[in-house]
Amino acid sequence: MTAPEGPIPGQRIVKPADAPDTNVPGPLRLPAAGNAAIARLLQSAPSPAALGDLMQLAGNSLLARIALPSAPAGGAPPAPAGLAGGATGSEIADLQMKLSRLQASAAPLTEDGKFGPLTEAAVRTFQGSNGLEVTGQPDAATRTAVDTAFAALSPPVRVQVALGSTGLDVGFAQQKLNAAGATPRLAINGVFDNTMLGAVIAYEIVAVHRFPQGIVDATVWAALDAGTQGGFVADEGASNTPIEQLTPSGTANALGVQVAGTSLHPVTGVGGLTSGPAVHELQQKLNTAGATPPLKDDGSFGPKTRAALQAFQNGKVPVTGTADAATWAALDAAAPATTTGSISRTWDEVVGGATYGLTSNYSWEIQKTRMVVTAKVNFVGLAPPAAWFGHVPAKWNQFQGVDPATGRTMPIDFQMTRGGGGDSNTVEVKRGNDRANAGEWYLGDTDAANTIPHEYGHLIGLQDEYQLHPADYVRVTGHEPPVGDAGGPATPPATIATGIQAAMVARSGVAAKAATVGAGLKPGAYAQRVVAEYALLAPVNLAAVAEVPGPPKITGLPAFTTTGEVLSDLDNALRDDLPRYDTIQVLSYSSGSIMGDQSRVKDPHDHGAQPRHLAQFMTILGQALGGTWEARRR
Amino acid sequence: MILRFEITNGSRSPALAESVELGDDGTISGWRTVSPAGVGWFAGRLPEAELAEVRALAGAVRTAPAPSLARPGASTETLDLDATGPYSIAGSRDGLAVAARWLVQRLTDFPRAAVTVTHPSPEVARLEHRGTEPLRLDLTSVAVSAAVWRGYYEPAGTWSGVIGGPGEMEAGPGWTLDLPLEIDAPADPGITVHLAVDFAIRHGGSSMPVEARYEPDIEAPE
Repeated sequence: MTAPEGPIPGQRIVKPADAPDTNVPGPLRLPAAGNAAIARLLQSAPSPAALGDLMQLAGNSLLARIALPSAPAGGAPPAPAGLAGGATGSEIADLQMKLSRLQASAAPLTEDGKFGPLTEAAVRTFQGSNGLEVTGQPDAATRTAVDTAFAALSPPVRVQVALGSTGLDVGFAQQKLNAAGATPRLAINGVFDNTMLGAVIAYEIVAVHRFPQGIVDATVWAALDAGTQGGFVADEGASNTPIEQLTPSGTANALGVQVAGTSLHPVTGVGGLTSGPAVHELQQKLNTAGATPPLKDDGSFGPKTRAALQAFQNGKVPVTGTADAATWAALDAAAPATTTGSISRTWDEVVGGATYGLTSNYSWEIQKTRMVVTAKVNFVGLAPPAAWFGHVPAKWNQFQGVDPATGRTMPIDFQMTRGGGGDSNTVEVKRGNDRANAGEWYLGDTDAANTIPHEYGHLIGLQDEYQLHPADYVRVTGHEPPVGDAGGPATPPATIATGIQAAMVARSGVAAKAATVGAGLKPGAYAQRVVAEYALLAPVNLAAVAEVPGPPKITGLPAFTTTGEVLSDLDNALRDDLPRYDTIQVLSYSSGSIMGDQSRVKDPHDHGAQPRHLAQFMTILGQALGGTWEARRR
Repeated sequence: MILRFEITNGSRSPALAESVELGDDGTISGWRTVSPAGVGWFAGRLPEAELAEVRALAGAVRTAPAPSLARPGASTETLDLDATGPYSIAGSRDGLAVAARWLVQRLTDFPRAAVTVTHPSPEVARLEHRGTEPLRLDLTSVAVSAAVWRGYYEPAGTWSGVIGGPGEMEAGPGWTLDLPLEIDAPADPGITVHLAVDFAIRHGGSSMPVEARYEPDIEAPE
């Protein structure tokens, strides 16, 4: 288990609203002392005394769920210089990773870049055991000592693997071969088969420059490890918690897949948007493209803007006086850089074998000292609570763009504003506490501090990061799928696959879960062997199932022919129930980030908002300001 | 039949499995698994004016519209008309989709064999039978959770507990069961407590997990 960290002990377990609502800690009865603490919290904002009560009761999972006042708008500031030695969030995150690996922390530290009491305690422990003055502050001497100790850690023990080998090490080699560009990609299944043999041989020739032997020996491992970090299991924290170290692979693209034929620009002008960021962007581009006389950049689409637009369109695209997709494409080619822009991104995603889609409307503005990203929401139904607007910056305002070549920095601030119009997103606010989605949020959501930032992520074009196919997981996260459980249960993969298909024939989610989760199957390499075995099964025709009138009524199911793609087959063949969801979960991949499945996937290395979630804005900064920008924690 | 509508979502616990069917004669019946107005079986007759409105909306549909993609995380929403057969309305906000969702809410005004939860005193969550017919409950283990709000949905605490209940039993008209709460929410008019009680309804040999909710309205500030 990992220990999420924040300024107050007992930070809540987080989950996105449209992630599963299972795996919550077993409910407990609240002892009287806890009631007193709650009562004091209820009176007002937590007092030091009330927090003291909580400190004494640390570890009580009920108290861990006590909500604290919302973070102030503007989000998490950098750690105070006096507390964290002036370190940036990225430096603190790096420190957290190293302290965990050095087992100075009690449990693995969540790499959130926030210098909280768990990190401070780990610093104290490290200082105390390394002859340093115990201050709890990561001063220069401490950081140097941490770096030195980390560098001295033993490298992972590598085992030679060859054709026929199975297990974790094979999976790690598969990850690294993929990261090195193996074509076709290898399934991370922990089986050294002929496909992997081909990849190894190619790697030996191209990367190791030796006559191929078809084995991953010490020489090949050394090359693979030199080329790609991660790909092993390390004990983290004094708790010796085994944590699989992520293997980077390619460049992450956390955005939903843009629907072919759609433009990222909203139609602007007559029949479209006539004011706001889209018009600012249009005016700036027209000016760059040579509008004469130059337009006033006022964000209002008037006759002068229309005339300049028509002049630009003349000879390039149909002269309509409205900036449609073709016009925007021409403008982008002529004038890629602006300081303001509006995006209307139509995208889809495949999650759990089903396809979902959304059009996300958002805008951005590069100001003198910061970049502001805004998603405007047209709330319908009930009024949104004020706290929701603070949840967005609290989770998202943790990064800045950095141009390493010049040292320039640009904080990226996210905000959710209220408003209507063609550049807004419609969200219905409902009573109760149901499962939120990108268009329906619930007033009674006790986890709104995480739900709203997750849904906000959708409003800026980010897709879900749970129940993904392997290729989607790699694309979205920029990591190879974890090897996870390579050994599996005693049941052969083919038997489990047959059991899954039999469950589909029986139209029983309970049976599907029994054949997988119930058999001891866990996410990872062995589960992917099941996926592969399932793909080999002959298709079966599933007859329609009539409904059972009940009560309670049990819904009918339409006829269906299996395809061999297990996630979509489960989605189509079985009723939408929890056993089906659990079955899909074990056969797919999920991240632990803000866009992932935080209630099921605990990953101290991939937690909360991540730099990949800001990549689109780094590209924009590069276009507008020049240079190559990357997102780093503040 | 005028329409049949189902909302399902297996990614939450208990799973969402709401259904409503509206007959030509105005009979409305269906099942609720997660609801602030009771869970279980509901059946009754819709007033003529309301019936006519829904009938007109459904009657205007000749073919199923092109399916639109559901929003990320959305529940499965399936509408079934005689003229079209079942089709997805996830993400749709057209008149019939809105009416179908409204019928799921309206359904709870016609309890046949249902259970709701009330909050008669700060220390008690009370399960109550609603309707005219009995139903079998599995109350072996009852999970109770509370959310405390200050003002307009400003989080002020949560509480949860598992209570060993009386086991499997039949609940009929007049039946109630008090469940103890251990939350010291102050008697402040600015404080509102919401409750959720998870248990199961038995039918035949199967158990259906349900969640009865108590969610008094909170007035939005001016």
